[in-house]
Amino acid sequence: MATATLAGLRLPGLARLGASPAQVALGLAVAAFLVAFLVVPVLRVAWVAFQGPAGFTLVHFGDFFASTLFREALYNSLYVAAMTVVLATIIAVPLAYFIARFDFPGAGIIHTLGVIPLVMPPFVGAIAMQLVYGRNGTVNLLLNDAFGFRIPFMEGLNGVIFVEGIHYFPFILLNLSAALSNIDSAMEESAQNLGARGWTLFRTVVFPLALPGYVAGASLVFVKVFDDLATPLLLNVTAMLAPQAYLRITSVGLADPVGYVISVIMVAVSLAAMGGAALLLRGRDYATQQRGGGGLQRRRMRSGEAAFAWIFIAITLLIVLSPHIGILLLSLGTVWSFSPLPDGFTLAHYGTVLTESTRYMVNTVLYCGGAGLLDVLIGIAIAYLVQRTRLPGRRLLDQAATASLAVPGLVLGIGILRTYFEVSVPGIEGSLATSGLMLTIAYAVRRLPYALRACDAALRQLHVSLEEAAEMLGAGKLFTLARIVVPLMLGGIAAGFVTAFATAAVELSATLLLVTRDVNAPLSYAIYVYMQSPAGRGPGAALGVIAVVVVAVGTWLSHRLAERDRSRRSREVVAA
Amino acid sequence: MTRIVPFSRRTLLAGTAAAAVAPALGARAQALEDRLVIVTSFPRDLTTPIVQGFERRHPGTKVEIQNRNTAAAVAFIRETRSSPPDMMWASAPDAFEVLKKDQLLQRYRPQATGIAEKVGAYPVNDPDGFFVGFAASGYGIMYNTRYLRANNLPVPKEWDDLAKPVYADHVGISAPSRSGTTHLTVETILQGEGWEKGWALLLAIGGNFASVSDRSFGVPDAVNSGQYGLGIVIDFFGLAAKASGFPVEFVYPSVTTLVPANVGIVAGARHPRAAAAFIEFLLSPEGQEILLDPKIMRLPVRPETYAKAPPGFPNPFTDASLGARLTFDSEKSEARYELLNSLFDRLITFRLSELKAAWAAIHAAEAQLARRDNAEARRLVAEARAKASAVPITEAESLDPQIAGAFQPTRPDRPAGARQAQIEERWDTFARANYAEARRLAEQAARLR
Amino acid sequence: MTENAIGVAVEDVTFAYGTTVILDRVSLAVPRGEFFAFLGPSGSGKTTLLRLIAGFGQPQRGRIRVGARDVTEAPPWDRNVGMVFQNYALWPHMTVAENVAFGLHRRRVPRPEVVRRVEAALALVGLEGYGGRRPAQLSGGQQQRVALARTVVIEPEVLLLDEPLSNLDAQLRVEMRAELRALQRKTGLTTIFVTHDQEEANAISDRMAVLDGGRIQQVGRPVELYDNPANRFVAGFLGTANLIEGEIVREGAASLFRGPGGIVLPAPGTARTGRTLLALRPQALAIAEEGRPAQFSGEVQRTEFLGGHVRYAITVAGMVFHVDEAHLRGREALPPGTTVRLAADPDQLTFLEP
Repeated sequence: MATATLAGLRLPGLARLGASPAQVALGLAVAAFLVAFLVVPVLRVAWVAFQGPAGFTLVHFGDFFASTLFREALYNSLYVAAMTVVLATIIAVPLAYFIARFDFPGAGIIHTLGVIPLVMPPFVGAIAMQLVYGRNGTVNLLLNDAFGFRIPFMEGLNGVIFVEGIHYFPFILLNLSAALSNIDSAMEESAQNLGARGWTLFRTVVFPLALPGYVAGASLVFVKVFDDLATPLLLNVTAMLAPQAYLRITSVGLADPVGYVISVIMVAVSLAAMGGAALLLRGRDYATQQRGGGGLQRRRMRSGEAAFAWIFIAITLLIVLSPHIGILLLSLGTVWSFSPLPDGFTLAHYGTVLTESTRYMVNTVLYCGGAGLLDVLIGIAIAYLVQRTRLPGRRLLDQAATASLAVPGLVLGIGILRTYFEVSVPGIEGSLATSGLMLTIAYAVRRLPYALRACDAALRQLHVSLEEAAEMLGAGKLFTLARIVVPLMLGGIAAGFVTAFATAAVELSATLLLVTRDVNAPLSYAIYVYMQSPAGRGPGAALGVIAVVVVAVGTWLSHRLAERDRSRRSREVVAA
Repeated sequence: MTRIVPFSRRTLLAGTAAAAVAPALGARAQALEDRLVIVTSFPRDLTTPIVQGFERRHPGTKVEIQNRNTAAAVAFIRETRSSPPDMMWASAPDAFEVLKKDQLLQRYRPQATGIAEKVGAYPVNDPDGFFVGFAASGYGIMYNTRYLRANNLPVPKEWDDLAKPVYADHVGISAPSRSGTTHLTVETILQGEGWEKGWALLLAIGGNFASVSDRSFGVPDAVNSGQYGLGIVIDFFGLAAKASGFPVEFVYPSVTTLVPANVGIVAGARHPRAAAAFIEFLLSPEGQEILLDPKIMRLPVRPETYAKAPPGFPNPFTDASLGARLTFDSEKSEARYELLNSLFDRLITFRLSELKAAWAAIHAAEAQLARRDNAEARRLVAEARAKASAVPITEAESLDPQIAGAFQPTRPDRPAGARQAQIEERWDTFARANYAEARRLAEQAARLR
Repeated sequence: MTENAIGVAVEDVTFAYGTTVILDRVSLAVPRGEFFAFLGPSGSGKTTLLRLIAGFGQPQRGRIRVGARDVTEAPPWDRNVGMVFQNYALWPHMTVAENVAFGLHRRRVPRPEVVRRVEAALALVGLEGYGGRRPAQLSGGQQQRVALARTVVIEPEVLLLDEPLSNLDAQLRVEMRAELRALQRKTGLTTIFVTHDQEEANAISDRMAVLDGGRIQQVGRPVELYDNPANRFVAGFLGTANLIEGEIVREGAASLFRGPGGIVLPAPGTARTGRTLLALRPQALAIAEEGRPAQFSGEVQRTEFLGGHVRYAITVAGMVFHVDEAHLRGREALPPGTTVRLAADPDQLTFLEP
């Protein structure tokens, strides 16, 4: 106890940790969750990459870089990810600007429809995309009839960029419009007062202030595209890293470590991209100085502007929602083959799924709702620990949770099976690894980064004095969290919940590995099962439509909740 | 003498596999368990009527179906040794081979009588008794009639037809590394045509591929939608799609492969008696008849069932052309199983655009030759064809344990040769150089007037 | 001061973020019932000191007592210290009554009593009948009162006010200042008030501490500090002072201050000889009329009319002196460029450490 002898100096254990016992316990609980369900399973799989006949080796990494194909794949993946960011930016920035700048009735529509592209039911989405944009899809058949040429939307790397761009642009839209709405209108006004307007105003004030939001969204797009497997597979583009890893890991009977090497390299690149974005934003987190916000000054559009905006929005939404229109047609069509539209229409597919599939819907709501809930709880905990405490290692929690973005679902699925199959828990029939509970946990791990970012942003908006006031009045940390912090973060929490819920509802890769019993199966699994046969296309698409509708309703509700929250807060700012 | 044991790539290894199921008398004497858990890659259209039939026959047993693609199914059974599902039920014979090799299956000899020993040239059951064939499917060409009409394409009859310039960019296939049945088709072509000639044909067809899909069902999906016109697929994909109303047709080429659809009991199954009863039901006349359902369309292994088949239903027991053309050397197939998958991917799947460019140039040069003959140009085109049809290793090398072994899981008893990644890199270099050279030669020929 | 009379005591407190020292060995005692102000420029550590008393942050060294109790290691919720935040920190998702009742619920006060005490607290701050409103529906001054009611309703040992008036407009600020003082008298609460505005501190506090650079510069009644600043900082921060470097010399029996430019002023006999700093309030200097005695002369640079008086900036030997002259109707300020003679009131000289 050398410290005690220094007169007047106190360094008791917990004070040295900079955290209260409850905070330490919270941190440990979150860490335990991440270690148990993310780190350990992933390491158990990734370990193969480092194993040679004589134990640990790096020779497989040498093989990776010695291979022309893998070097090409690495380059292609980086190229596609970067170009997708460009395309997504072109789509998202004008939409975000319309919402932030103008008072017009389309804002709610953009918000809701902006999330829908993220909800692409597996397989159904792929087929619908081909039916709309494929080389003999609706668009190209019509073009060919009318003008005698086709546009290769879905061919090669450009096809991947196109599909990824219209799938993932909402990440930029959501983050950017959140950033724009946090800009204090006084900042804009003071710039105008100093003579800046129009483009100069945008370039010198609005853009730099919105940059953190943009970079957050763009890095998310980059990482998601870099890791995305479904799109390259759908377009049969194999010269990219994710499909190479997938093909190697899942080929029957192949015990080649290079697949795992690729996985490790993908995780490394993704982490580097996210780290780079964080570095870029260091010291530029202006949001913390912009309490209250209130957003840019909104004004009514002149009629010419409104017409232009509506046309842009209509075209953009038509393009980005065309897969969903395709799914809708597929679910209502009889046979759709080599023709712009289905041969005939019927409601029979909905009849089929409604009688057979209520169980899947209930399971989806149960698992994805559970996962969303778990995600916002953990998201709040991590955001709180990072922003409000000085607990050692708190940033590591954030980084670990975010890193799950970079873990392919298949790797996580295999890892969880490998780690937990032997475990059984009283009250759960069969193995823990294949229970609905574990599926919920796996979804939660996969979608945690979305919820975490939303909670983190929401907490940043909250002045610490609101919590201190509660503590001063006798409320402990946990009570303050429950009664003050969480209710005030509600808008952000809702956004995080919806994103996690919506994307989990269509997650397939881990689902396929972890579902063992029909009674445990969620919607995405049912869609997969239907889509395995030609007759199942219609019912599968009908289930896809149902999934999209469920998500759309959830998004709309959370948008309402967030708006209410925001207006409550901004009224306060006006009053003060 | 070559013993004909198709699909058993690891026969010798398998001899050491898990203990056999309790003999049949146990199964008869005791009541069935109340549950049966089956992992399958089959679509609901097939599983539902069969499961319903089984549950009608054995009302005390509830069947749980777990739908997984083959790869996920194998990974799942591998990872769940302590409490596995009861049965694996799938097409891909290679998946069963892998499970058998890993000692994840247990022996069961069916009691049912009246089951054919062979379908076409192939024995129905695993000779070691680890899995049982209950249906057969043939490989062939599926095509979209609207598509062919719109593009003025002739109806293909044989594999060779698919190599014709007219089909450029209209053909689809799934990668043999992803589809055990495609793998068998490729192996059959190689054995039927010979190694070098077989590869020349595959590469020439490859020049016409619109895409190489990573899942078996991707090919019928694309043909159904009309994304491309023709697909090399297993028969029931074509037949079932047709039955569902899609404008598609299916033909068996004269050299075809017949692939059994299998079922096996997983080692350590919790419900072995119900599993045995399920196999017996599948093989029973009642079970076999379900296969004739237009949405299922599998070829029964019980010859008498064909009497109830609808007109035009292919019958391998009477139609000698169906799969009977060649004998299949399964030891050869087994020795180079993984090597062949990787070779196909390196030569075709991953270098498809280069391959297509080479063949497009060759076809263009040949079209020009047809209009105006030119000896020098003909020599150049022949050279280009040779380049675009070349395979980097000989048949002997493909069977060399030093090379083929690099593609199999490391084992202490096998000498360490080059690593898979190194060999693959050589093939990749070979393919790129050859396709570029073929394209250059063909373009040079086209420039000669 | 006896134990019983202590409101808040800060003993030898040091606080640092990493290597940046915010508070450096600060000691201070506020008797029970006193209205005390922490006055200092931004960055002086005054708010940090207030927050340490409230329990937001732990000093690396030293003790803090509230009443008889050592609260150094107690968390904020266990100190019974009430704080009103600069931005009021009202919870927008709760009504005014819920805001005020929060602390009472935490103290497990029975419901009927909560209702009674919330009403009493709202009445105390003049907001009867506002309980059902949301903070967003109130004006800034009303929000301030709610924050106050929320804090005093728990009957804290000490009331801490962090720049509570800074968000209000000028007139409201003066009104609230008076109300705060009245409220403090009524409740008898030991109150500590943080401000950077010396006028506010002067007007409201019994005593105050001037802080700068993490140290306490001087503690005392406002008028004491004004009249007898302990050092150059206090002299300059509390009002305006003309600071002149020079030395005190003895000439026979008399002490004289000699400054630059031939400034000579009589110094009290008790003044120590040697280098010194002379602080002269603007009102201690006068522009001498013709024929009246004067010590030195300068030239008018500019004038500011401040209502009750006119402030002259006058250059004397390269230095600028501020001189206040009472304004009477009809009297015009001297135009810039006028040469004037200045007389210092010998009783108003303050000699400081240089």
